[in-house]
Amino acid sequence: MHAVTHEIICELKGIQKSFDRGNGKPLRVLEDINLDIRANEVVALIGPSGCGKSTILRIFAGLISASKGKVYYHQQEMNGLTPGVAIVFQGFALYPWMTVEENVRTVLRAKGMAEDDVRTRANRAISLVGLEGFEEAYPRELSGGMKQRVGMARALSVDPEILFMDEPFSAVDALTAEGLRAEILDIWSDTATNPSSILMVSHDIKEVAYMADRIVVLSANPGRVRTIVENPLARPRDSRSPEFLRLVDQLHDIITSTELPDVEISAPEPSLLSDTVEPLPPAPSTDILGLLEFLEIQGGTCDLFQVVAHTHVAFEKVLASVKGAEMLDFVDTPKRMVVLTPLGQRFVRANMDQRKDIWKEQLLALRLFRIIGEMLEMHHGELKRHEVIAEIQQRLPMENPELTFETLVTWGRFGELFAYREDRGVLTPE
Amino acid sequence: MIHRILDSMWGQANALFSPFRRRRWVDLALVASVFGLVYGLILMGHEVTDVLRPQIEIDLSPLSLVKYTFFSMMRGLAAYLISFCFTLVYAFWAAKDARAEKLLVPLLDILQSIPVMTFIVPLLLALVAIFPRRNVGIELAAIIAIFTGQAWNMTFSLYHSLKSVPAELQEVGTVYRFNWWQRFKWIELPFATTGLAWNSMMSMAGGWFFLMIIEAFKLGERDFRVPGLGSYMSVAAERHDVRAQIYAVIAMIIMIIVLDQVIWRPIVVWAQRFKVEDTAQTAAPQSWFLNLIRRSRLIRRWDHWRARRRARPQATGKAEPRSAAARAEVAAPWITGIALLLIGGLLVLGGFGVVRLLSQLQPGAWWYLARADGLTLSRVLASILIGTAWALPAGLAIGLSPRLSKIFQPIVQVAASFPAPMLFPAVIGLLAAFHIGLGWGSIVLMLLGTQWYILFNVIAGASAIPSDLREVATSFSLGRWQRFKALYLPSIFPYLVTGCLTAAGGAWNASIVSEYYNLSGPTLKTFGLGAIVSQAGEQKDFALLAASTLVLALTVVIFNRLVWKPLYALAETRYSLTK
Repeated sequence: MHAVTHEIICELKGIQKSFDRGNGKPLRVLEDINLDIRANEVVALIGPSGCGKSTILRIFAGLISASKGKVYYHQQEMNGLTPGVAIVFQGFALYPWMTVEENVRTVLRAKGMAEDDVRTRANRAISLVGLEGFEEAYPRELSGGMKQRVGMARALSVDPEILFMDEPFSAVDALTAEGLRAEILDIWSDTATNPSSILMVSHDIKEVAYMADRIVVLSANPGRVRTIVENPLARPRDSRSPEFLRLVDQLHDIITSTELPDVEISAPEPSLLSDTVEPLPPAPSTDILGLLEFLEIQGGTCDLFQVVAHTHVAFEKVLASVKGAEMLDFVDTPKRMVVLTPLGQRFVRANMDQRKDIWKEQLLALRLFRIIGEMLEMHHGELKRHEVIAEIQQRLPMENPELTFETLVTWGRFGELFAYREDRGVLTPE
Repeated sequence: MIHRILDSMWGQANALFSPFRRRRWVDLALVASVFGLVYGLILMGHEVTDVLRPQIEIDLSPLSLVKYTFFSMMRGLAAYLISFCFTLVYAFWAAKDARAEKLLVPLLDILQSIPVMTFIVPLLLALVAIFPRRNVGIELAAIIAIFTGQAWNMTFSLYHSLKSVPAELQEVGTVYRFNWWQRFKWIELPFATTGLAWNSMMSMAGGWFFLMIIEAFKLGERDFRVPGLGSYMSVAAERHDVRAQIYAVIAMIIMIIVLDQVIWRPIVVWAQRFKVEDTAQTAAPQSWFLNLIRRSRLIRRWDHWRARRRARPQATGKAEPRSAAARAEVAAPWITGIALLLIGGLLVLGGFGVVRLLSQLQPGAWWYLARADGLTLSRVLASILIGTAWALPAGLAIGLSPRLSKIFQPIVQVAASFPAPMLFPAVIGLLAAFHIGLGWGSIVLMLLGTQWYILFNVIAGASAIPSDLREVATSFSLGRWQRFKALYLPSIFPYLVTGCLTAAGGAWNASIVSEYYNLSGPTLKTFGLGAIVSQAGEQKDFALLAASTLVLALTVVIFNRLVWKPLYALAETRYSLTK
């Protein structure tokens, strides 16, 4: 069991991050982030896509610099790389031209270590993650799980005080991921050796509940810390125990209420209302259709997390589809339930032509689509892609305009509101 | 085909020699070829440092041809070495320094579209002025001229590779604090190796194109010829010695095949290990020569010795190499800043020089150049059209049949590397027999060198059509024309664009020699931009040379921007099979 010490290793204070989009209007991705990593703990960042999880991790590591705010390491303000940090990457980031052994040794050589030490440290790290016998293999010969072991060995070889993991198991199959999680916790739980702490980014609620001591829930556009949940469960954790399932449920509720609020939490000010439009969730029309069909089979109502469990679709994707369906008034979301509205039911049961009519009508209830319609008329029926994107940028400064455009096109195409010719990049009326 | 024959031969030889398990004969051959190389280099050294003679004697006997071929090969390799070093420095600098990038990349684009002819005259005059008594000057000029036919392509390849290193791979370097040298040798160079290997092969082939012009250059009454395959060919053509011409062509083909098998094929196979794609690829390229070398005991010993040296703990402390690298990193901005200023200054000076030269021209000259440009452009386009017209069906027929493509692909590859000007004497003779003037004939001459690029790419594209798409066409029993329109043409489109782009570049280059031919006997010429460049070079009319080069470079650059770039974009989005 860990002795809980509160010594802070690494800290972010008042971090704000904007990316330059090259049009003078920077995209704000992080807003006022205050976060610390203490000794002997596992911290997890979780939230919807676009909430800046990976960006926070990279600011902690000093890989990118914040637009505003400060990074501290042992009370010292940092400028550039944070010492005592190693990263395990989502895509493994192994050098394909080097063997397992060379991949690990290389980072030690970069530290200017003597060749003898390089060898012993690399061998120790390789055996720590169970890769003995694979030293001479090239990454392409290994499975995803084995590759991530190499990534872990490389990170551990430099003896980091904090181990950073950026969605480390999302490119690994589920069974292997299970094993790797337990192993990494084993390595971490030895308090006598590094890493003292772990910071991980994840989109898997169960993974976070299993691994983390503190769970930082983020909301998107721009990314903010929504809440920090302390994980009270003792280690080792049993992912089938009632307490565990309760925690997972609780996390689900927090994320759902962030993403699908029952009451509008932050209604825009009336003065702004005139030229703001509702952001589109990244849900293509086919996904929304699929969701509605699924709800119909379930009798018109289903728990959000049951949808995830039954369809084996990622939580984020389901969430986006639900949001989209809600915007079109096809579903309601009291608490965690997703319920077909009468209109939604009529839509599902209609034939294809009627469906398109209903869909079109609902689109025209949305301001963004009305604006596009007007623009189409003004441009005599040929609207260029970049003009639409400029419009989106102006109306939805927090959103990724390309993604919004993609969603807009799939919705509009299905409703036969307009056609889009990709090779020429123009919208034309149907 | 070459591989199959050699492989089967090697298989038999292997069986024959199987009692000698140690395979000493591989080592013997290795030692013998090293001695041969040294002997050849000594000969060449004599030639280079020899006293400059007003006239050079070319001996047409087949035995001398061996020597000449060796000389040409060495010039090509020396030029390649320079190209390689140039590529490393230039591409790395352009990729790493945002300020320099703005200057260096457009400059490369322009350099790429300047014909060899424009470089060679000033080069020769300058270098011969520096080395007035020895052959060094003209030899150097020849090597640098070959270099100008090789380097740009490679540099672009490396630059693009360096710019497209995946972010995560770079981040690893940042997190673990690689210095610039470690980053270069562990991340960037390995990542670029596959592309660099392929482009080296292509560049070497491009470098041969002007071999004949470079080695057999005469400026008015002054003889700047150097002994080599190119000058041998020109003398043979001048004397109408058909047998010697055939010998020269055969020697060239042998040289291309030997270089391909002994240098490029092994390098490409070796470079496979730097492929980034994680999946194990099907049918990896093979090299008999690499296999052979790997069986040599000498080479193996060398490997062992190196491995042992590596294993030995290094005596040097830990801090020393780091600080050296760190110092280099601090010094770098200074040096690059000064270098950038120098290049900028030179460009400005050069610009002034060119403007002064151009101001000597009469206004009418520009109109004259524009007409010539239009005519040559039409010839270039005509040659591409004719090339596509026959290479498209032929390439499809070959590429769609695995049996045919196995036979033809290596042949086409050799044909594409073969410098077409060496065949010009024969073709010009043929054209004369049919009473075709150089006006139309130059299109045929351009075609001679460029059609292979189209054919080669179409074959590659046709053999890459996914079998399920072909099965769809078969199962719905699409007719021949429908199949061509709906499946073949769209799926080879990206390859066709690449082929035509390469062919267009080649055709512009070829216009210099095909509109103005003086390599054997009397000068043949026709009106066109290429002819003007050639003639201006020969008559040392630097104002006209500068103006015609400028027009040519501008045309190529504008044409690339307006035609090839959009076509590429279309190929990548709409006709890409990987997306």
